[in-house]
Amino acid sequence: MPSRLAELFQYRELIKNLVARDLKVRYRHSVLGFLWCLGNPLLMTLVFTVVFTVLLRSNIPKFPVFLLCALLPWNFFSTAVMGAINSVVGNEALINKVYFPREILPIAVVLSNLVNFLLASIVLFGMLLVFRTPLTLALLFLPLVIIVQVAFTLGVSLFLASVNVFFRDTAIIMEALLLAWFFLTPVFYPIEVLPQHYALGGLDLDVRRLMYIVNPMASLAASYRDVLYSGVLPGLDFFARTAVTAFAVLALGYLFFTRTSRLFQEAM
Amino acid sequence: MAAAVCFDNVSKRFILHHERPRSFQEWAIQTIQRRANLREPFWALRDVSFSVEPGEMLGIIGENGAGKSTVLKLISRILEPTTGRVTVQGRVSALIELGAGFHPDLTGRENIYLNGSILGLSKREMDRQFAAIVDFAELERFIDTPVKHYSSGMYARLGFAVAIHVHPDVLLIDEVLAVGDEAFQKKCLERIATIKAQGKTIILVTHDLDAVDALCDHVLWLDDGAVQAQGATSITSRYRRHMAGVAAAHRPQPAGPEAVAEAAGVGSIESTSPGRWGSYGAEIVSVEFLDAQGRVVSTLRTGEPLVVRIHYQAHSRIERPVFGLAIYRQDNVHVNGPNTRLAGYDIAAIAGQGCVDYVVDALPLLPGSYQLSAAIYDHTCLHAYDHHHRRYPFVVEEGAVAAGYGLVHIPARWEHRAAGGKTQEA
Repeated sequence: MPSRLAELFQYRELIKNLVARDLKVRYRHSVLGFLWCLGNPLLMTLVFTVVFTVLLRSNIPKFPVFLLCALLPWNFFSTAVMGAINSVVGNEALINKVYFPREILPIAVVLSNLVNFLLASIVLFGMLLVFRTPLTLALLFLPLVIIVQVAFTLGVSLFLASVNVFFRDTAIIMEALLLAWFFLTPVFYPIEVLPQHYALGGLDLDVRRLMYIVNPMASLAASYRDVLYSGVLPGLDFFARTAVTAFAVLALGYLFFTRTSRLFQEAM
Repeated sequence: MAAAVCFDNVSKRFILHHERPRSFQEWAIQTIQRRANLREPFWALRDVSFSVEPGEMLGIIGENGAGKSTVLKLISRILEPTTGRVTVQGRVSALIELGAGFHPDLTGRENIYLNGSILGLSKREMDRQFAAIVDFAELERFIDTPVKHYSSGMYARLGFAVAIHVHPDVLLIDEVLAVGDEAFQKKCLERIATIKAQGKTIILVTHDLDAVDALCDHVLWLDDGAVQAQGATSITSRYRRHMAGVAAAHRPQPAGPEAVAEAAGVGSIESTSPGRWGSYGAEIVSVEFLDAQGRVVSTLRTGEPLVVRIHYQAHSRIERPVFGLAIYRQDNVHVNGPNTRLAGYDIAAIAGQGCVDYVVDALPLLPGSYQLSAAIYDHTCLHAYDHHHRRYPFVVEEGAVAAGYGLVHIPARWEHRAAGGKTQEA
């Protein structure tokens, strides 16, 4: 396995070029492409704000900031995963012709979506200014949160990209599952609305805690919100648990991918 | 020195899934219906061992499905062996058209760098090769144009130019380079010769036995996934004989006097088969190749006498028939097409059985695989009684004359004349 990682490092030029390719293609018509990357989160913010503050009368202060703190990371996660799922199958012709470490394909997709996420954050920082949200030293913690999210996103992407080679409807299934996952993640609602006591067949469930345990995206959304919206550090043991989970998912996803990738050519 | 490429008892098994589910949906349906997933193991290679020394050129020959391409895919690591070991020293590159890795919205320049990194080159190495690649692909004017505006020929040339410039230690070439026009193909062949001259290891997979004879140092003959023979290029002659034998087994009429008599007795031949047409008023019963001693042979030799004998059966009296034949080389080169009318040799009439000989004093064909057509036409040469198109394969091997390169041996001599000096003849 270390030799496999060393080989990946040798191919860093290819990763760089694939990421550059994705970005160039997206922003080729530079002004328009870049504006679209900002316009999409703005439009979604507008829609959610109208629905929740005007129609549903929720009283979350600075709702657009509250929303964007979790919506942008979620968009990064879901577009990266959907892109990565098709990354191996979509390059079938190449896989039949040339050897290169196959994991490069999903990795490049995740990294180019990371760049898009960082660009889209301009909208978020604009909102922070508009709503006069004070930036605190907790902001220095933001890179760590992003790194943990990249690890988790990569792990899920590697796993699903491989599964899709063998079961081609994985992408379709995931599209539906990601929608459900979106609603089950506290993106447009605060996690505090979830009950801490919920009776189910004689069991007393702490739904809020359960959410954090089974859904790392919920923990990540909470961490982003702590750092950006509330201006405080996330609970350190809470964040450490999230980080351990994320890197465990990455390790498992990577192992699964490298074990199955030798069968790709025959399966396609 | 270690071998550049070494196969040690390599076997490769594919599992053919006749009912393998391709999606979760199919999988669920199969599980409910309890249909079995039929798996059938298929051995593409069995216990294949060989090694190629650095600087050698190996030709891999064999029929379709013999496992030639599987060998290349194992060397380039696209596939992994089921058992055994494949070891390769240095960088491997396959001479393939890499258009697959292109992105249509990127320019030629951007795609060159992208493709180079797919082949494992650093940016610095690509900077050094860039000018040569553009020059080779003949795309100087269009290099900053998105490749979606390229013609398919330009597309292929660019992909190929990158693959040929990566300076591999081991170069893999699969089949004839069907890229671009003839001039571009020639340039590719020259480039391969240069790479060979640089002492790089080359492995060539092809059906073009003449190319193997001309280029390779060693030959590996695969048959049904196993090594049939390996060693010197004389193996290609054995392979030619083998293939001629396979083709002969498929001939509608076996050659030989007994068969002629038998066919004559029955008096009819199947009327339609591929490569045969005519009104069958007269039919070609068989065609024989005879050597100087009048023996029926299937292998001929350059520079030696040859008789092609066409046995016919005319079902009624036919006035002024024309007998003709044509020789083609394996790669479709039409060598000649003589007939009795062109030669001014009039046959007044035929009826019943007989034979016509085409007598060659010294066969000028150089070693290679050929096919012969034989035909009987009316005197206008417009109406075919019986035409057998390329149905008689034969092999020419090296004979008395020193074989050179190309198609034919032209009897000639050399003369050298230094200015004002005496003539020296050879």
